[in-house]
Amino acid sequence: MTAPIYEVEGLVIDLYTPSVSVRAVDVAGFHVAPGETLAIVGESGSGKTVMTLGPLGLLPEGVAVDLRGTARADGKDILSMSPADLSRLRGGFFGVIFQDPMSALNPMLKIGPQLARQAQLYAGLSAEEARKEAVSLLARSGIPDPEDRYGRYPHELSGGMLQRAMIALALAARPRVLIADEPTTALDATVQAQILALIRQIQKEDGIAVILITHDIGAVSVLADRVAVLYAGQVAEEGSAVDVLTAPVHPYTRGLLASVPDFRSDHATGTREIPGIPPSQTQLEPGCRFADRCDLVQSSCRTHRPPLVRLGAGPVPHRVACPVVIAAEGIVTHD
Amino acid sequence: MQRMFMRRVGLALLLMLAATALTFWLVTAAPGNVAALIAERAAGAGADGAMIARIADELGLNDPLPVRYARWLGDALTGDFGISLRTGKPMAEEFAERIPMTLALLSGGGVLVLVLSLAMGIAGAVSNGGVADRVLHGLALVGASTPNFFVAAMLVIVFSVWLGWVPTFGVSGLSSWLLPWTTIALFPASVLARVVRVNLQDSMSRPFATTGFAKGLTRRAVLMREALPNIAIPYMTTFGAQFTLMIIGAIVVERVFGLNGVGAFFIEAIRFRDFIGMQAVLTLFVVFFVSVNLLFDLLAMLADPRLRRPRKA
Ligand SMILES: Nc1ncnc2c1ncn2[C@@H]1O[C@H](COP(=O)(O)OP(=O)(O)O)[C@@H](O)[C@H]1O
Ligand code: SF4
Ligand SMILES: [Mg+2]
Repeated sequence: MTAPIYEVEGLVIDLYTPSVSVRAVDVAGFHVAPGETLAIVGESGSGKTVMTLGPLGLLPEGVAVDLRGTARADGKDILSMSPADLSRLRGGFFGVIFQDPMSALNPMLKIGPQLARQAQLYAGLSAEEARKEAVSLLARSGIPDPEDRYGRYPHELSGGMLQRAMIALALAARPRVLIADEPTTALDATVQAQILALIRQIQKEDGIAVILITHDIGAVSVLADRVAVLYAGQVAEEGSAVDVLTAPVHPYTRGLLASVPDFRSDHATGTREIPGIPPSQTQLEPGCRFADRCDLVQSSCRTHRPPLVRLGAGPVPHRVACPVVIAAEGIVTHD
Repeated sequence: MQRMFMRRVGLALLLMLAATALTFWLVTAAPGNVAALIAERAAGAGADGAMIARIADELGLNDPLPVRYARWLGDALTGDFGISLRTGKPMAEEFAERIPMTLALLSGGGVLVLVLSLAMGIAGAVSNGGVADRVLHGLALVGASTPNFFVAAMLVIVFSVWLGWVPTFGVSGLSSWLLPWTTIALFPASVLARVVRVNLQDSMSRPFATTGFAKGLTRRAVLMREALPNIAIPYMTTFGAQFTLMIIGAIVVERVFGLNGVGAFFIEAIRFRDFIGMQAVLTLFVVFFVSVNLLFDLLAMLADPRLRRPRKA
């Protein structure tokens, strides 16, 4: 297996606003290797965005952030970097695609020149080459008449075209890790599939690492090599896409998959929402975060946080944080 | 865009018409009869009722108000604003002498407002809650709540009387402009500094600012390259509004610093019940108000790509 290129461990992120303090990420981690697609799934508010973008310093202003743990990009410790070095890393090493292209692109700036600037600064091209590169990036992202679109403002493009432009912008610096944070949530259903296909194609052609944050289990099954399931700021289950999607162990993962229409898994019982709501991340209690919504809850669940335990002997580690199911179903653990 | 432009211009013309009609009516309704004043000037104490009536008749003062307004408007459009009752000179001549002084006060003050407000607002946003931000916020609050006559008095006491750096009265050279410019700029600069600061902060919490960081920009670069263009629209509109209000400030500032501008003339016109002069100056103010606001509204529209280049359906 290739060594990870972006790797986060033991991450704790507390957010403070004047009104609330939230533990958005509670000792969680993930890693992704070149050429690999990691999907991060979980309900809205489970900490997917904060966990992935927080270590890069990409959380919105106006929130005080307290962040602990380790995060390495290409082996280098991100969290101890100078602000200037971290800025450079964000610009060149990482490419980010955001959820809503309409608000993520600056309404006052033309699209093309932003791409050209990235190519010039980070791919070392001359001004003229960079302009050509920008046009060909727009074309590659599936934007018709890219020469014309180069000089356009965001309001002159449709949502789908804008997300393609956003992808082109993310790629302009030739990043090694592409982070797509719910890249299709704000788009029409017909466009969603096209955008996912584009990300998949880029991933194949460039062999870069992709982190796909999504609620779309269908997208996960098509694109992902590995999946991490996040619940209330903690990783409930992680493993290869095949393991997690076809042999989920954690009750939350099973519930999540069961709530997806048409998704075939051994445990799918038709369309069913998981009853209840996630715990408030403002009050930290010991024990399993899923306890209040779990059918299988036992008293021990509420006293100790269940550790992530590696299952089976597969090459891609499958880890689950639920000792109850492991014991009840006699699942073989690693070692 | 074109249609919006034409609508704004039409609205501005209408506004000027309505405002001049209103001031005409108010000035005419003010106590003190123009004919009596003229007669008094001409014949001193010897002015009698018959003379006053004759003058009123000659000037057409007995015609109905709309007729008189139409006549006045016709003259005004040809640049004839009548003869000042106080100085006996045509108002057009008074304007020619005094407008340059007022313009110098307003344009110097306007440049100062521009520089100060942007510098204060951006420095505050760069500091982002630091000492500089809090000090600048405090300064802006003080500046926006201190009356200009008080500012003028303080400046004169410190810089003219104590330090003797600049003259207390009249203008002679650039240094003598410093106090009037500072006085007239302080309030609008303070208001606009807050506009800059607040709108920069708003922009910095928008998703496009996060994209800016993701592009590898430092915080300062995100402020200057991504956030700053986004404040252009509210800034220009507010600047236009504040700049027009400076004409009110000019009345006080010209008086305090002994500048022979239109504002100082206006105060004298009121004191001497110079109705012709008052009406002429008020007309000038109305035209200034409406056209400057129009100009900045149009500039703000031009600065916004969404209005400049509306998406074709
Ligand atoms: N700007 C913010 N201000 C306050 N709390 C926030 C902010 N952004 C995220 N959070 C909190 O952090 C937690 C994780 O959010 P997020 O990572 O955005 O979730 P997800 O991406 O999984 O939907 C949530 O509980 C949310 O309330
Ligand atoms: S640890 Fe307990 S509460 Fe948590 S998921 Fe497993 S059974 Fe449910
Ligand atoms: Mg999110």
